[in-house]
Amino acid sequence: MPENGTDRRGFLKYAGGAAVTASLAGCLGGGDGGDGTDTPADTEAEETEDGGGGEETDTGDGGEELPDFPVTITQGNMPSGLDPHDHRETPTDVVMLHAYEGLITRDAAGAAQPALATDWSRVDGEDAAEFQTRSDVTFHNGDTFVAGDAAYSINRIVDPDTGFASPQSDQLAGVSGASAPDDSTVRVTLDGLNPIVFSEFATYCDIMQQSWVEERSKSEIGQQMNGTGAFQLDSYTQDEQVVMTRYEEYWDDPAEVSELTFTAASESSTRVNQLLQGETDIIVNVPPQEVNRVNNSDAGSVSAAPSTRILYNGMRYDVEPFSSQEFRQALNYAIDLESIVSNVLGGFGAQTGQPTLPEFVGHNPDVDPYPYDPDEAERLIDESGHAGVEIELNTPVGRYLKDLEIAQAVAGYIDELPNVSASVNQRDFGSLTDELLTGNIEDKPPWFLIGWGEATFEGALVMTALLSTDGALSTWSNEEFDSLLETAGNSTGDERVSALQEANALANEQAPWIFLNQQFSVYGVSNRVSWEPRSDERIDAYAMSQA
Amino acid sequence: MSLARFLIKRLLQGVFVVWGVVTIVFGLRVIAPGDPANVLLPPDVAPEVREQVIADLGLDEPLYVQYWDFITGIAAGVPEGLFNILTGEPAGPMGLGTSLTTGTSVASRVGRSLPATLELAIAATIVAVVIAIPLGVISATRRHQPADYGATLFSLAGISTPNFWLGVMLIIVLSVQLNLFPTSQRAIGIPGVFDLLVSGQIVAAAEGLRTWLWYITLPAITLGTYFTALITRLTRSGMLDELGKTYVRASRAKGLPETLVRYKHVLRNTLIPIITVVGLQLGTLIGGAVITEFVFDWPGLGQVLINSINSRDWPMVQGSLIVIAVGFVVVNIVVDTLYTLVNPRVGFD
Repeated sequence: MPENGTDRRGFLKYAGGAAVTASLAGCLGGGDGGDGTDTPADTEAEETEDGGGGEETDTGDGGEELPDFPVTITQGNMPSGLDPHDHRETPTDVVMLHAYEGLITRDAAGAAQPALATDWSRVDGEDAAEFQTRSDVTFHNGDTFVAGDAAYSINRIVDPDTGFASPQSDQLAGVSGASAPDDSTVRVTLDGLNPIVFSEFATYCDIMQQSWVEERSKSEIGQQMNGTGAFQLDSYTQDEQVVMTRYEEYWDDPAEVSELTFTAASESSTRVNQLLQGETDIIVNVPPQEVNRVNNSDAGSVSAAPSTRILYNGMRYDVEPFSSQEFRQALNYAIDLESIVSNVLGGFGAQTGQPTLPEFVGHNPDVDPYPYDPDEAERLIDESGHAGVEIELNTPVGRYLKDLEIAQAVAGYIDELPNVSASVNQRDFGSLTDELLTGNIEDKPPWFLIGWGEATFEGALVMTALLSTDGALSTWSNEEFDSLLETAGNSTGDERVSALQEANALANEQAPWIFLNQQFSVYGVSNRVSWEPRSDERIDAYAMSQA
Repeated sequence: MSLARFLIKRLLQGVFVVWGVVTIVFGLRVIAPGDPANVLLPPDVAPEVREQVIADLGLDEPLYVQYWDFITGIAAGVPEGLFNILTGEPAGPMGLGTSLTTGTSVASRVGRSLPATLELAIAATIVAVVIAIPLGVISATRRHQPADYGATLFSLAGISTPNFWLGVMLIIVLSVQLNLFPTSQRAIGIPGVFDLLVSGQIVAAAEGLRTWLWYITLPAITLGTYFTALITRLTRSGMLDELGKTYVRASRAKGLPETLVRYKHVLRNTLIPIITVVGLQLGTLIGGAVITEFVFDWPGLGQVLINSINSRDWPMVQGSLIVIAVGFVVVNIVVDTLYTLVNPRVGFD
């Protein structure tokens, strides 16, 4: 089986070699006119074979010291480009994190860990934070990393005056700018206390080299890479594949994986077949019905981890019958969430009873999911005065793991109650999000299924976006809840955590949602590779070893 | 009518058809759900930023202004866009536009996927023609014999089998279980093989061609099956029609050998209408490759189209559709011209 993979790699290299030759010929041909700045030839070389030379270096120095261990990762989509500050998607992030690093990172459990910064602290008496950076780090082009590069990267995201509008500016919310007083200190200025600033930096803000960025056009930055990470770009063919090789000069131990290839297949059965045939090593989103096929094969097995995404049924507090707290609670009692998780999701999910997931800051361990109690549900509906009402659940199809099936199960349980009838309305995801995102509660459907992932592990961000009065997707308003979030926003440490826990308990009691499941990330992993999936959906090849 | 006048007339008709397609494509964008601004922006962005983006995209203009900009943009960009598609070079701002998600030129993206789709459509056509014509001939010449029933059964099965199901089955049986073919993707394309050949790497080029064949076999069979069945039926009935004509009886009476009658005269006359069908179907295959490309993760126009629809990347959707439509029109004109050249009974009118 591995023969197939080798063959394929072999031919991609052959094809690459030809493109390099062709583009070299192009440069030579145009040599009398200039210095090879001709766009067509250059672009071709960059697009297909940026690292034709990198390949040679790989075999030239140190190829024999470390094992040859190529790994292929297949996601549902390819990265939208290679600029780490110009995207908002997980598949792009997964590719980026191998070449670019932040000041702080996270371990598999979600705890903040040093990366390019060795130390970080708030600056007393000022709305600022300081990071001490490593001195032994080089970019893939060989230049040394200095604190100024980090400051530039932060400003590139938060400051539109740098001439680049990053769609990630809100991911560093509360950060107003950065400077580098010396080569190993980064000072970040904040709008206020910003209790989550280090959580933000542990998740976002990849560091780029200032001079490298400034010397390149937007499109070149989107086609090339120059980070400090454990892997450097070998070749990039837009929408087809990204190939990286181990960066031998990495400041930490070099990776065990020698060559890392990213491909994409949007159809899940195609991904499963690729894994079974040994054409790829890691695949994302194995659907529950394919789990046995993978586990029963010789090629690999399924490995799952709780993700940072929560699924819920939002209800508009301003329209009947959802304006009634009893009615909302009744819907929570009406569904058998345990059965949905085990039967619909095949066990790849966890029940929730509050907006904050167990891994997040602010989770309240004393709040349990609602039990299945149809009698109590029936009683509460009668009590709410809305007996006999007909309601319709708007759900996207294929956006989340088994979203339609979950919605059908929820509506099914509620429809079984004698005093209410429920149905499902399948929606196009785009039009549903359009309605949810207008900022007007009147535009939103009264009852809908949606999911929300939050990579910072901060419950406060989830609750602010989804449940605070002015939240981006909010369909609920509660003064007590808002004031708890405000308290949390102006405090740190235990005081902050206890305010968030109280907010979670309040949300459970008030039931602004039907609390559904925490989604699991389900991966297919080849037997060649030893790797544990993580909660934050990062597929980190640096943590992989030969099985 | 002379050939030149005929061509001009057909080209003008083609332009008219393309204009119709472009208008429909524009209309689809207008009525399709999903705001392109939401693709580009995070959910909690400030309303003024959202408005700015909408204004930058020109989506706040009245529809007729958007339509006019769209049409004139394409009219100005098509020559350049086509040139870029042919050369694979990035297009300027006046081309087919830039992708909303990646910010890169639509023309160059479409240009890079076009060879993969063309390869697949042509390979499927070859599979179909190579299998179908002999099968149809056998079927017609051994009418009501087991071979005829076998061919009929094959055609029925071929016409009734959905592409995606056949593709998945071929992968599961021939790739995963028997390990004869790769499951998906395209390791090297014909342009890659050609590059190798041009740079003098003959052995590598031969190996490349073998790899290409190895990767394209299953998708080509999947895409070509329906078409095979169709042409088998057509060949059979066309052949039977011809065999019943007087000139066949006359030839036999003259004492011509049966093989000569069947293959030189009858088959030749049967093939004339089949050329038209093959040509027209080639156009259909370019558009119809979408599902096959999806199942086999084949990096062609179909993949671009599906991914762009999912991400509401309208410039990319429009670019792919326009190229597919232009391809269809061009194939049609070529087929019509060839048909009239091959069959002297049909004039240029």
